[in-house]
Formats: sequence, C-alpha cells, structure tokens
Amino acid sequence: MNYSKQEMMAVATGREICDGDLCIFGVGLSMLAGYFAIAHHAPNARAITEGGIYGSTPVGGLPWGIEDNRISANATCFTGAIDALGFLVASGRCDIGIIGAAQVDKYGNVNTTGFWDKDSREHRSHPRVRLNGSGGANEIGCGCKRVVIMAAHEKKRFAERVDYITTPGYLEGGAARERYHFVGGGPSAIITTLGILRPELVTKEFMLDSYFSFSSIEEMKQQTGWNLKIFPDAKAVPEPLTRELEILRSIDSTGMLKKK
Amino acid sequence: MQNKLISLSKAVEMFTRDGMMYASGAGLPVGSESIVFGREMVRQKRKNIHYIVHSCSQQVNLFCAAGVCDKVEAAFSGLEVYGFANGVRRAVETGRVIWEDWSNLSMSLRFLGGALGWPFVPTTANIGSDIQHKSAFQPDTFPCTTKIPEITDPFTGKIYGALPVVKPELAVIHVTMSDVSGNAILLGTEWGRFELARAAQKVVLQTDYIVDTACIRQYPNLVRIPEVIVDAVIPWQLGAWPQCSVGVYDSDEDHMNTMNRLLGSDEGCAKYIEDYIHSWRTHDDFIKVVGKANAQKLMNNVTSHLLAPYRSWIKSDGEITELMEQSLFEKKGSKT
Repeated sequence: MNYSKQEMMAVATGREICDGDLCIFGVGLSMLAGYFAIAHHAPNARAITEGGIYGSTPVGGLPWGIEDNRISANATCFTGAIDALGFLVASGRCDIGIIGAAQVDKYGNVNTTGFWDKDSREHRSHPRVRLNGSGGANEIGCGCKRVVIMAAHEKKRFAERVDYITTPGYLEGGAARERYHFVGGGPSAIITTLGILRPELVTKEFMLDSYFSFSSIEEMKQQTGWNLKIFPDAKAVPEPLTRELEILRSIDSTGMLKKK
Repeated sequence: MQNKLISLSKAVEMFTRDGMMYASGAGLPVGSESIVFGREMVRQKRKNIHYIVHSCSQQVNLFCAAGVCDKVEAAFSGLEVYGFANGVRRAVETGRVIWEDWSNLSMSLRFLGGALGWPFVPTTANIGSDIQHKSAFQPDTFPCTTKIPEITDPFTGKIYGALPVVKPELAVIHVTMSDVSGNAILLGTEWGRFELARAAQKVVLQTDYIVDTACIRQYPNLVRIPEVIVDAVIPWQLGAWPQCSVGVYDSDEDHMNTMNRLLGSDEGCAKYIEDYIHSWRTHDDFIKVVGKANAQKLMNNVTSHLLAPYRSWIKSDGEITELMEQSLFEKKGSKT
C-alpha cells in the first residue's frame, strides 16, 4: 500500500464533490479533501469558508483556520458569517458541506460538543470531556443539499445514539427531519477511516456501502456501535489512483495527512 | 468628529466592570480578536464576566483559565487546527465555567436582532438539535423549551425556532485600521463584527493602525464600523497576537501552542500571566515580549499586499503620541 489511511479517506471524500458544486469546507482534513477535488476532478466547484472568504486557494500550506492568512492571500471576496452561513448555506444555495464528527449515530446525527458519563441526552451536568461545539456545522447540516461526514471509525464513536446532537442528521430516522422543514437534504455519506456508510432510502439508517481495501466488512461491523446492516451490493472502494495521490499530496504540502 | 483615542489601561478602567456582559470581536480562534484588551482585563483582575463571543479565541481560553469569566455563550470552543482550547476545556469540565452552546450563524443572528431592536430572530437552523434542546444555564430541563422556543410561521404554519437577541454591555473589537474617531476598515473576514458593533451598548476598537481620515474618505465603502457607533479607539499594533491580523501579521505558531499548553494548568496559567501580562506595561515593552525579530517575521507574510492601498495614510508612533494628547479622554479638564 503506497498511501496512508488518512489519504484514502481524503480521496474518498473528495470523490463526493461534483464539478460545479458550491462547497463549504471546515478546517483540516475536510478542507484538504475539498481542495483535492477542485484540483483533481471538479475545476468548476467553488469553495467558500464559513467566515465569508470566497474564491481563494490556500497559500503556503494548510490553513490554521477558516480565517487564516493562508486562505486570505488571494481571495476574491471578504465578507462575514451571515453572508456565508446565512445567505449561502441556510438559504439552501450550497450544494455540499463537509463536516467532521467526534461521534456519529446510525441516523447520521453528529456530536462535536462533548462526552458525558451518563448514557443519555438528558445529562444534567457539565460534560466529562468538552469538545469544540458546532461552529458552523449545525447550519451546514440543516441547509446544505448534501452533507458528508468524516469520522474515525471506532466503536465508541459510532454509537446507537450520540450523547448530544450538535448537527442534525436524520434525527430519529425515517421522515423525522420533515417536522423542521430543513431546506437541506441531510447527510449523504459518512466517510470513515475504514470505508463508507450511506443512508437507507426510507429508514435513513446508515448502512455499509463500501469498504477500503485495507479494511473489511467484518472490521467495519466490529467497530460500529449499532448493528450495522450491509447494502446487498457492498463492495471495495477503488484505491487511490497515482494521479489522485500526486494531486492530494501537492495540496497537503504541510504533510498533515502523513502526521496522523 | 471627536478624537476618541484612549490608552489601553484607561479603556479597561473606564469601560469594564466585574460581572458585566462583555463581548469581544471578531471572536475568531486564529484570526482577528481583541486579545491585548483581554490581557489588560486580566491585569486589572476583572471577574464574573458573562462573556458573549462568536467563537473561541485565545482571549476566551485565557479568561476561562484565569477565572475572569464564569459564563460563556459561544458557537465554538476550539482553536481550529491548533487544537482544543485547554483553558476552556479545564474550566468547562470542572464546572467552573458554564458554557452555553450556539452555532456560528445563530451568534451572528442574535447580534443582528439586538442591533435592529427585534424581539427575537426566527431561525431555520439549530432546531431539532441539542443546541435547541439543551441549555447549560438550565441543566435540569430536557428538552429545554425556553432557550430557542419553537414558533409557528404565521403564514405557512410551519415550525421554526426563535433565537433570543443579545445586546452586550460592551463590545471590544479588533480592527486593522481606524481613524482617531473610530471609522474602521477590517481586512480579512468580517465574521460577525458588523452586527456585533451595532448590537453592543458601548463599542471600543482595538486597532493595529491609526490612519488619517483622508484614507477613510478615499474608501468610505470599506468602512464597516463607522465612528457614530464607536466610543473609544485603542491604538495597539500586534494587539491580536498570537493570533493573526490579515494584511498585517501571521498567527504565531510557537506562541499559540505555548499559550495553549500553559493555560492547561493553574500553575501554567499563573506563569503565563506573569511572563506575558505582568511583564509589560507600555507598547514598546509589549513588543519586546513578542520579540522584535519575531514580530518582523510575523509581519512578513503572504497577505502583506492587502495593506498596500492604505500604507501612505498610516500614522507613525510619534504622530499617535501627539494625537493621543488631543483626545477627548486626555484633554485637560475632561471629565475622565
């Protein structure tokens, strides 16, 4: 294997982006995946950050944040949060958002807020472990036409129910989102360190769609905290092509994917 | 227009008090933020602050670690690629600081509503999630129905959420440049500074540069914070350090990590305050703490060209000293 697991994850996420998409990326891995897609197969995709920096390509390495100098050096527009997350995301204009998850459940609800000892969302005290909170992920989850979730595939992170719904997926499943009239379509994929899950059409339960060549159906099932169902046509994800890896590594000039 | 220049220490004395609802801007984790103002608040031992901020920053991290604030309302509590904010984590995980979660759009909408005098702001986001259902301020209620109450669209009957507006007692906002009366130009993302400046009851600017008003008159379209809503202006170059100021300086990678590491313990925090707050009073001494060579390195960055149109109007240190003497806060016989 001439690539890392993180690189596979970034390539798989990048493949979810179509040419012409209006995209919003978070920092880190999701930004790498996004800029990889633009450089590789989606030259007309347009990237915005939730800070309201449009039209830019990172200079000098992976940005430290969505407002960093590295992503401000060649922008075509500086605006603000209401413009990016309101006019473009909450309005329903944005095609795809990529967000990270510390914990995700079988309906694609995402927790990035904290872990509590009590195994219930009715916890009454402060968290045992404080995470980062929503940032703009909640709006992305409500408003983007498609949402791709990236998460490390470990049993404790793939829970029957998340400790806290930071960003809504399909809530209790089925048609539960309809109660809130979200303009966005909900999560279309969970790209994990082992493979890809996608929602079943009616129940909206996330099922095993495909696995990376270094993983297996068995390993993905073992590392999932709910009884992971498998799509009948589950298959291996094509390995990164030479050109995909070359382009990804040129985007990842500070070597973030190699550190992990 | 009045000359509203003020010294850092006097601004903190005059505009802050224990227990107040304080906001800082832009409230970004790596970028623009009024951090040197926060350092001075630590020096003057402010406490029980109810902190309203868009996202986390090293100021939030410092306030949580040093016990300046006991309540925070914000959308994000990390430092992006610099990692979790250790001071915040420690304070929230021990229950010393109560952290109420919102999202980035909802913070801006709450400022916008406060600015417009609206009773609440309808929202299509946050609903259905635990940002709506959980309130750290009301921990015994689940699902909480008073944080973001459900409302019915009077036209369609659909269910949405009502965000409470917020009008901080004071907003201290970092800007790239301002004239002496507070007409400010911001390079980089504006984030929520436009609406925050209009929501707050008092506004103090912390600016990297003082520019001549001729600059403002040349680019009035770019003035997103006008002097009519500004109470005072603190000239303080590198005031967002160790975070970045687009067009002026980069974030200081070493110090971002050092600061975050030290804020991870009480001993470390005490050391941080000793070494990086009590060690200077004047701007010259502050720059020595940053390190002159380090400051130059940070100022030589990939966004320097963004400052080019404004450079000829930037006031020198000597000119600022003279202007300071003519300020309404410094004139003889002034009430302050």
